[in-house]
Amino acid sequence: MFDGILQGFQVAFSWEAIMFVFLGVLLGTIIGMIPGLGPISAIAIMIPITYGMDPTIALVMMAGVYYGSMYGGSTSSILLNAPGVAGTVAASFDGYPMAQQGKAGKALAISAIASFVGGTVSVILLMLFAPMLASVAILFGPPEYFALMLLGLTAIASLSEGSTIKALISAVLGFMIVTIGIDSQTGTSRFTFGSVNLLDGIDFLIIALGVFALAEVCFLILNRKQKMKGLSNIGSLKLSKQDIKEMKGPLTRQSFLGFILGVLPGAGATISSFVAYISEKKLAKNPDEFGKGSIKGLTGPETANNAATSGAFVPLLSLGIPGSGTTAVMLGAFLVLGVQPGPLLMTENPTVFWGVIASMYIGNIFLLILNLPLIPYFVKILKVPRPLLISLVIVSSLVGVYAVSFSTFDLYLLVIFGILGYLMRIFAFPAAPFILAFILGGMMEQALRQSLTISGGSWSIFYTSPLTMFLFIIMIIALVVPAWRDRIRRKKEEAKVKKY
Amino acid sequence: MKISVNKGLSIVLIIIAAGYLIMAYQLPEYIFVPVDADLVPKLLGYALLILSIFFFFSKDIDTDEQKAKRVIPKNDFFILLGILAMILLYITVLEVIGFVIMTALFIIASSRFLGYKNWTVLLLTSLLFAGSAYSLFNYGLAIRLPAGILPF
Amino acid sequence: MLKRIILILILPLFLIAGCSMPVQSGSINEQGQWVPDRSIEIIAPAAAGGGWDTTARMLARTIDEEGLADQSFGVVNKPGGGGAVAWSYIHKRNDPHNIFISSPPLHFVYLNGQSPFGYEDFTPIANLIADYGAFAVREDAEWNSLEDLFTDMREDPESITVVGASSPGSMDHIQFMMFADKAGVDITKIRYISDQDSGGMTSVLNGSVDVISTGVMDAADQARAGKLKILGITAPERLEGDEYLSTLPTAKEQGIDAEFIVWRGMFGPPDMTEEQLAYYEDIYKEVSESDAFAEVRDMYGWDEQFMGSDEFREFLDEQSDDLENILIELGFIEEDEDENIGQ
Repeated sequence: MFDGILQGFQVAFSWEAIMFVFLGVLLGTIIGMIPGLGPISAIAIMIPITYGMDPTIALVMMAGVYYGSMYGGSTSSILLNAPGVAGTVAASFDGYPMAQQGKAGKALAISAIASFVGGTVSVILLMLFAPMLASVAILFGPPEYFALMLLGLTAIASLSEGSTIKALISAVLGFMIVTIGIDSQTGTSRFTFGSVNLLDGIDFLIIALGVFALAEVCFLILNRKQKMKGLSNIGSLKLSKQDIKEMKGPLTRQSFLGFILGVLPGAGATISSFVAYISEKKLAKNPDEFGKGSIKGLTGPETANNAATSGAFVPLLSLGIPGSGTTAVMLGAFLVLGVQPGPLLMTENPTVFWGVIASMYIGNIFLLILNLPLIPYFVKILKVPRPLLISLVIVSSLVGVYAVSFSTFDLYLLVIFGILGYLMRIFAFPAAPFILAFILGGMMEQALRQSLTISGGSWSIFYTSPLTMFLFIIMIIALVVPAWRDRIRRKKEEAKVKKY
Repeated sequence: MKISVNKGLSIVLIIIAAGYLIMAYQLPEYIFVPVDADLVPKLLGYALLILSIFFFFSKDIDTDEQKAKRVIPKNDFFILLGILAMILLYITVLEVIGFVIMTALFIIASSRFLGYKNWTVLLLTSLLFAGSAYSLFNYGLAIRLPAGILPF
Repeated sequence: MLKRIILILILPLFLIAGCSMPVQSGSINEQGQWVPDRSIEIIAPAAAGGGWDTTARMLARTIDEEGLADQSFGVVNKPGGGGAVAWSYIHKRNDPHNIFISSPPLHFVYLNGQSPFGYEDFTPIANLIADYGAFAVREDAEWNSLEDLFTDMREDPESITVVGASSPGSMDHIQFMMFADKAGVDITKIRYISDQDSGGMTSVLNGSVDVISTGVMDAADQARAGKLKILGITAPERLEGDEYLSTLPTAKEQGIDAEFIVWRGMFGPPDMTEEQLAYYEDIYKEVSESDAFAEVRDMYGWDEQFMGSDEFREFLDEQSDDLENILIELGFIEEDEDENIGQ
């Protein structure tokens, strides 16, 4: 195995590989920044082009596109509230408020550093444990996935800003939206109103761009005459010692957590970024700052989504199982290049296996040096006159959706979700639970029903597996501890008040 | 009697829940699985129903900040509607006229509408944006955006 | 003033909106051959990256690189409704410059009532490749052949769970049902789980589910690594070419008289003239015979199976009947005619 690693580094440090890694991450960053256009289409389109190339070099480049897009995606999330890639939605929760406060440069710097740390730590983990982690990736069956998704959903209350009941209603609505389309366990089409356009359900990007980007556009229009605050200092990347201290916790925790969630097929970058956001909020001493430009709230998801991207290579490389749309396309790319990912890859083709992993170190360094100096230029987009900026954001969102689905029907849907998002904002229904329930709800329902089909309808399947029990216990702890902590805090405050 | 905003909202939500439930009850039966496609939708429908009833009676305080958000000057309201109309028009004719023309027109029209005055910058940006986006997608990424009435 | 500018900008758009992109039909040259007016669009009825998209892109590349046509062939993605969105688009336009790639889901989506258009509503041009399904169990499972498995299933069909990527009534589900039915199992009692995220591979590897119904290549890789046992494949004969693949037993040689071919071929719009059909048929015949495409086939482990338009249509008739019978037996559709209640 050690020989393999060495070989991998040799390949990764060849001039050719370095050049193509650079090309890959550059392309990834650009593609990630364009709302809607994600790594899936980019890699799919590269497949015929790379045909005939040295497989290691080609794969190194495609991997670069994949994790590079996570870097780029957060730029548009933070600056415009228009997530470029699904995995960066959570980054906008605190990143966008920071940008609004005139700290866009700082937000992007935090994002780049968090991405770098998450990416690099997870590659180390990948290198050390990839062979072993193959068994972790298949540890989760339907009941365990159900427990995991339920654990995620219990966090909804913590995403509420104020009224819990509004957060719950918003979550139920999000869950309802995801039930639209063909139900995969029965083939029944649900709530499609007889339209073929709805059979596949509604794409996540339509929801994300509608509820976040277009809804935000409405407010930009209303406030178009207000001047942005602190524009003069907007490009400053300076982080204070205090900032770095704040980042340390989420950086360490979420590198590991994100990586592990990435390893599980189906979980991926989006879910891990949400989990990161929620867990950081639960652990934080000042959860009230979340959603208003908290450094922790930005660092967490940004670390996690990049860590998860490397994690996703575990099932792909060592089992040949793609855990997401993007890795499924990567699998196709491997096949075209004559490499069969799977349990035999490491022994039969160590150069490819270790070469791809080793190249990720270089890729992450490139991304950091590519992104940091460009931040002052990226933030200039905020200086674009408001009316022009608004028009550009609208058009980019429309193109983003169109380039994925090629359907004007989806564009109308985007507008509907934009209006819905705006209404939710003015009536103070939080959007995060809506999105979270949309992401987790669908998978949770499927896992629930898969489990019950396996068990023949018996619910005992959920408490016979130790892993499920473990997840349920974490869920209870996550529910009880913060509530308990709140109570203690309140009592202390009451005691203080009494003193005076 | 004047009902509060929250009461009005909860009535809307109750109607949504009821409509959703009615559709959930009409889902066809599939006999080969222990839990059919209608279970989760029914649960969701009832959950929304119960939550909206709670919401109806809850003392959710409508803060002044929220009220301020809802007050839109009449003028601004028409501007929002205008932009909405432009977006809808853009979508409707996008595939017919083509991406480049529509995108450039949209940027020009909506920026002017929102009060941007500098024609030179406007023309330059709109054409540059539409043109570069189109060539990036069509030639760089082999994703075909509608060419429409333009020959390329 | 502003309003007037906008009005002036917008009005002509409404006027042009009345007519849509013209449907062209090409022309016939002196030799009686069809000459297209513009570049050909190969429509992949799915998003970029899927099986249809990959095949379409590989085909377009081969045609382009080998110079098999005067016009360029470009791939256009039209995802939605498992293909239904693209099919209704092509049917409506009825433009001979639009052709599309398809595979058995064309049957399934139609038979299950999710699309009003089936293969009969289009013109089959040619089939290019064949792929097959495989049934596999975990390496340490008690069954060593399809017969072992089906013997147990005949006794107690509910005791064994089957997983696949597609939803019930579609490919992975029905291919298993076809063979189980032929082996005398009561298929209305089989418990099938759909797993779209990882195609069921994780569930069968970790033992949550007993049997996986999937494609040969997906199963073969795990089997080669000693994680799965392939009990049988749906091909009519043993596969050739690869040393390992040729060791996989077919269901037929185990006494189950059924086959399921995962074909992948090209279709055109409903009304095509003889010349138009001949134009495409010739091009695809050349593609199929080219060395470049042979390489592509090897890469993906696809089998060569060229069928011209007539042969392809007959084959589709036959497969459609087989599938319909299974769906009727399972109660997915009612017996009479093409009328189906679907879900």
